[in-house]
Amino acid sequence: MSTHSARARRRATGGSNPRAAQRPRGRTAAARPGGPAEADARAGTGGAARQIRGTGMSTNLKLTVGLVAVFLAAVVGAVVVDRYDRPTVAAADLLVRPDSHRLSTAADGRVTVVEFLDFECAPCRAAYVGVEKLRAEYGDRITYVVRYFPLTQHPNAFHAAHAAEAAARQGRFEAMYKKLFDTQDAWGGRPPSQAAVLESYARELGLDPARFTADAAGAEVAARVRADVTDGDSAGVPSTPTFFVNGALFTGAPTYDGLKAAVDKALAP
Amino acid sequence: MSRAGRTRAGTGHPPDPMLGDRLIGGVLAVGGLLGALAAFLLTVERIALLKDPAHVPSCSLNPVLSCGPVLATGQAEVFGFANPLIGLATFPVVAATGAAVLARVRLPRWWWLALQTGTVCGLVFVHWLFFQSLYRIGALCLHCMVVWVAVVVLFAYTTLYNMQYRHLPAPRPVTGALLRVHSVVPTAWLLALAALIGIRFWSYWSTLL
Repeated sequence: MSTHSARARRRATGGSNPRAAQRPRGRTAAARPGGPAEADARAGTGGAARQIRGTGMSTNLKLTVGLVAVFLAAVVGAVVVDRYDRPTVAAADLLVRPDSHRLSTAADGRVTVVEFLDFECAPCRAAYVGVEKLRAEYGDRITYVVRYFPLTQHPNAFHAAHAAEAAARQGRFEAMYKKLFDTQDAWGGRPPSQAAVLESYARELGLDPARFTADAAGAEVAARVRADVTDGDSAGVPSTPTFFVNGALFTGAPTYDGLKAAVDKALAP
Repeated sequence: MSRAGRTRAGTGHPPDPMLGDRLIGGVLAVGGLLGALAAFLLTVERIALLKDPAHVPSCSLNPVLSCGPVLATGQAEVFGFANPLIGLATFPVVAATGAAVLARVRLPRWWWLALQTGTVCGLVFVHWLFFQSLYRIGALCLHCMVVWVAVVVLFAYTTLYNMQYRHLPAPRPVTGALLRVHSVVPTAWLLALAALIGIRFWSYWSTLL
């Protein structure tokens, strides 16, 4: 026991407390239940503080371990309950609706990649880089479908999805899709509505501004975006970005390499 | 426990358990080193991202655990520079304090109060980052989570130590009760954070099973 602790303890306990003279902790005083320390305590010979501390520690340890055990049990319970009501494979018509936006269409229809995305989500922006590389490489050998899945925690995710859908109504979905991701740093992640910024993008893309603004704020476009979200929820889309390759949920890292591996596997004879 | 105390002293006040120097020194040293290591790795990844925006950091494992996008957000440089730089400067001080305690150096009260101030600021900051990561950015960063854990544990033990030595005003019974369950408090705290993470990304985790 250092002088420091002893002195501080004396201060803490009001100066002349006899307890301060006892060393609750010595180099060799690892308290063992039932050991000499405990015997000391029972006999009241002065090892009590040491023993108390020993008991205190083990109570602490028991409580800590117990808490972790309860937590793990709760997690296991939640997982078991969850497994009962979960669709395993999403139905194909749920993932690709007739009006879903296809960035490319494979003539042979062998591989279909569906991405549920949120234009304001940073991981989607990160995945976008890999997706564009993949699309450039595979072109029309794969069908690439984009579904809206704006998340409510992003202040402008719905504005952005509405902007993309309004552009789609003028035949420029892909251009707006690229524009939104390329400029995400400029409009994403800030609370006030960025609708005006998005309108400026529409003008840059040569869209009819009046029609774009009316569509983006219109109920029809909002309903179209909501329908995608509903499909995503039904398909069990957990977060964004979520990819489905031929209907199967893609669980790897959403990088160029990860997606390429999944596509190659699906393309393999 | 209290029965044993009464038997011994007959005062009705059981002797309080103590947070030993080896425990607090060890916690500060290990916590400080882990935090410093995480801050270092985050800084390295941030620099790699600056060199190549398409760089996929080693800590990007899946859509939820992806530190790249998290590092690239505005929240990752609240004060105008990369957050990990703060940890890179401060965690080694905590580790050194731990080493000093282990070496039985007697540190003055002001030192402990400074450490207390630092851990309180760290705690507030880390919880703000936790909120941003979960509910604004929507992704987690593995190294950042190491920092969250380190800060919560460092705060809990520094506070308890300062209560024990009356560096902080606290009623004796409260201090005694907390000392008896010293690791339960930070554990419960961290489990609560883990539960929030589990709930927030539940649908994603469940697809992995």
